[in-house]
Formats: sequence, C-alpha cells, structure tokens
Amino acid sequence: MEETRRGTVTSLASLFPVGEAQKAANRVQYAIAEKRAELDRLLGFIDDNNNLINLVHKLPEELSHDIMVPFGKAAFFPGRLIHTNEFLVLLGEGYYAERTSKQTTEILKRRGKGLDSQLDSLEAMIKDLQAEAMFFGQTIAEAAEGLVEIREDYIEDSHKGETKSGPLKQDAPDLEKAKPDDEYARMLSRMDELEKEELAAESGGDNGKNEQTTEDVDDISYQRPVDNEPRNSEDFHKGAPPVDQANNKSMATKSVEKHCHPDVADQLNFASLDLQSNVREGKNAAKKVKFVDHIEKPLVHHEEKQVKAATASKSEVQHQPSQPSFDSHKAFTGSIVEHTENIKTSNGQSSTSSQVSGSQPSKPVSRFKMQRR
Amino acid sequence: MSSLSSAVRDLQRELENKTNDLSKLQKDIAKNHQVRKKYTVQLGENELVLKELDLLNEDANVYKLIGPVLVKQDLAEANSNVRKRIEYITAELKRLDATVQDLEEKQNSKKDAILKLQQRIQSLQTSKAKA
Repeated sequence: MEETRRGTVTSLASLFPVGEAQKAANRVQYAIAEKRAELDRLLGFIDDNNNLINLVHKLPEELSHDIMVPFGKAAFFPGRLIHTNEFLVLLGEGYYAERTSKQTTEILKRRGKGLDSQLDSLEAMIKDLQAEAMFFGQTIAEAAEGLVEIREDYIEDSHKGETKSGPLKQDAPDLEKAKPDDEYARMLSRMDELEKEELAAESGGDNGKNEQTTEDVDDISYQRPVDNEPRNSEDFHKGAPPVDQANNKSMATKSVEKHCHPDVADQLNFASLDLQSNVREGKNAAKKVKFVDHIEKPLVHHEEKQVKAATASKSEVQHQPSQPSFDSHKAFTGSIVEHTENIKTSNGQSSTSSQVSGSQPSKPVSRFKMQRR
Repeated sequence: MSSLSSAVRDLQRELENKTNDLSKLQKDIAKNHQVRKKYTVQLGENELVLKELDLLNEDANVYKLIGPVLVKQDLAEANSNVRKRIEYITAELKRLDATVQDLEEKQNSKKDAILKLQQRIQSLQTSKAKA
C-alpha cells in the first residue's frame, strides 16, 4: 500500500530528450539573433533620426551654406544652400509637406518617439526569449545529468478522517478502482488491530495526559495544529499512521470518560474546559489529520466519528478516486483545501456532537478559525 | 495478391496528389501572410501620414510624388485621399484574414486526409506482408 502511494519517478531525459531540448534551444537562439539584428537596425534609425534633427536644427542658423553638391556617383561641384528655413518633408506614401525647420524638428521628434516605443517592445521580446533560452539550457543540463522527476500526488485524506480515508486514498487511484472493497476490508481489520493495541497502551498514559490537558487547554488547542503540520507529510508517506491514531483516539475517549470519575476533585472543574478543548481538538484532528501523540485523549469525539465514518466510508470511498486527480493540481502546501474536508468533517461532527456532549458546536468550523483559538 | 499491390499503388498515387495539393496550399498561405505583412506596414505608414497631415496648418503646401514629379495638392484632398487609402487597406486586411482562415481549414482537412491515407497504406502493406 505504501509503495503504491508514493508517486511516480520519471527521468527528465525521457520527458525532454536532450536532442529535442537542444533543437528547441537552437531555435530560440536563432530567434534571439533575428530580433537582435532588428534591434540593431532600429538603433541605426534612431541614430539617423537624431542626427537629422540636429542638422535641421542648425541649418537655419545661417542664411546660406557653401556646400559641395553631389553630381552623379563620383562628382561634386561647389554650390550654395539657400532658403535654409524651408524643408520639404516626406510624410510617407509619397506625400510631402513644406515645413519650417522648427516644424520639421517636431515631426522628426514624433517619429523618434515611435521608434523608441518599437525599441522598447523589441527589448521586451528579447528578454522573454532569453528567459526561454535559459530554461532550455537548464533543461538540457539537467536532462544530461540524469535528473529525475518525482511526482507525488498530494492527498488530503488526512483531514477527513483519519479514519478510513487515509489509507484508502493513498492508494493510487487505479488501485482503488481495481479493488476498493478489498482495501476497505483490509483497512477495517487493520483498524481493529490497532484499536486493541491502543487500548492496552492507553490505560497507562491517560492519567498524565488528562491533567496536562486541563492545564494547557489553551495551549494545546493552539499548539496542536502547528505541531501537526510537519507530521502531516509524514503521515502521507506512511499511510498507516492515520488509522492508528484514529483508533487511539477512540480509545482515548473512552479512557477520558472513565477518568472523570476517579479524579473528580481535580477534574470536575476542568471537565467542562476539557470537554471544550476536546471538541476543538477533535475537530482539528479530524480536519488536519494531525495525529498528535496517540495518547491525546482529548480527541475523544474523534474516535467516535471515525468509527462511524468507517461505516459511512463506503460511500466515500467511491468518490475518492476522483479526488486524487484534482489533488495533484493543488499546491503542495499542506492544508488549505477545505471544501471536501468540510463536508466530511461535518458528517463526522454531527455524529460526534450528538454523542459527546450537547455543548459542542455542531457545525463545522473553519480550520483556520479553530487554529486561532 | 496482385490486386492488393495494385490497390497499394493506387493509394500511393492518391497520397502523392494530396501531398502536392497540401504543399500548394501551404505556399498560398505563406504568400498570403507576406501580402498581409506588407499591408500592415502600409497601414501603419498611412496612419502616420494622416496624423501629420492633421497637425498641418490649413495653408501648408502639400505635394504628392507622382512618378518623378511633385504635384501640389490641396491639404483637404490629401487628407481625404489618405483616409480612403486607410479604409481600403483595412478592408483588404480583413479579406486576407478570411482567406487565410479558409486556406488553413483546407490545409487541416488535407492533412487529415493524408494521415488517413498513410494509415491505410500501412495496414495494406502489413496485411500483404502477412499474406
């Protein structure tokens, strides 16, 4: 089970053959070179334009200029420029306009602006292409090194339930489809085993914990989520742990209930507090999969939910296969997906609340809110 | 056996025809793209001229280069000429877009047909090899 859960490993070279990547890189390089040539041309235009502006600006300073007039290809003869403030400006498309030096300069400046904007867009394009080229270069290097891509679907079953959904979901979708019933049966049996183990283990640990809880009610509810975060990822890999915890919790609940009687003095006061913390925790746990230490008795409610959930799990199992696929699209950040979970939690919760105590809120609270408290 | 091989030959001839058609289509598309590019450049130039003409004073002298001579033109006339030209060019661009689209559709269908033909030839050849 665990193995199937872990994602796939693909060598980068098989995804992007070095040869292909090389070709793509060459193509991009060629495109860059082309754009560069264009850029150079444009820069030449801009240069010419600026020179022309300077010339047009200077010409009217004198009434006339002595110049050498080109005559044919190789001949010049001396001449004079007169009317130095009259220009015939080509506007394009064969249209010319008579303009003064000042007006001409304005026209030229407008043209210069157009050129500048072209230059900017070209530069942006070249930048884009360079980024692309860099990407291809990196890919080539990585593929050549034999880098491997590991893809692991993020499975958020954790939240829903520690219960059944954990292991089930983790199996890759295909596995699930193939034999969901089988898996389910296995899970259940596994849960039973775990439950037994935990019962044995918990009887010892409960007392100490209870006291702690009462004292640290606030801390605990507040800290748990945080602590749990790192664990979450671990849980995914292990697959089994969530189940354990669920079991633990169910046991814990029982033990907690028992506890109340013996330590009445200490705990009576805290009982209500405790309950509340439990409730909160239970929710946290349910949503987050945070299976804190197994001995958290606070999670009483949880267990119950889980057990129930297990029965309900069949229906859930069916729609689970579809989830992994969209899971993979979600960011790998651990905890933000609430929709699916909320639905589930609410199921669990309602059962819980009825059983555990009337005081608990029966509607699902956003996980974020819970953490804040 | 001989009928099979003749069928293959027929198919191959057909394939050849289709590939010729396809390459013709591709040439047309390329030509169209070039014309389109030319028109876009002209459109840009005309818009520039129009902008400059709009900025001119009423009494400015405007000339049009016709062949080797500059012919003096009325500013209003020049203005309306340029506008007309822009209209014409945009209409032409639209027409070109439509034809390019049309050609591309044809090209795609031709490609599909060629692919199918190739598959048929292949399956025929494999069955021939088996027989």
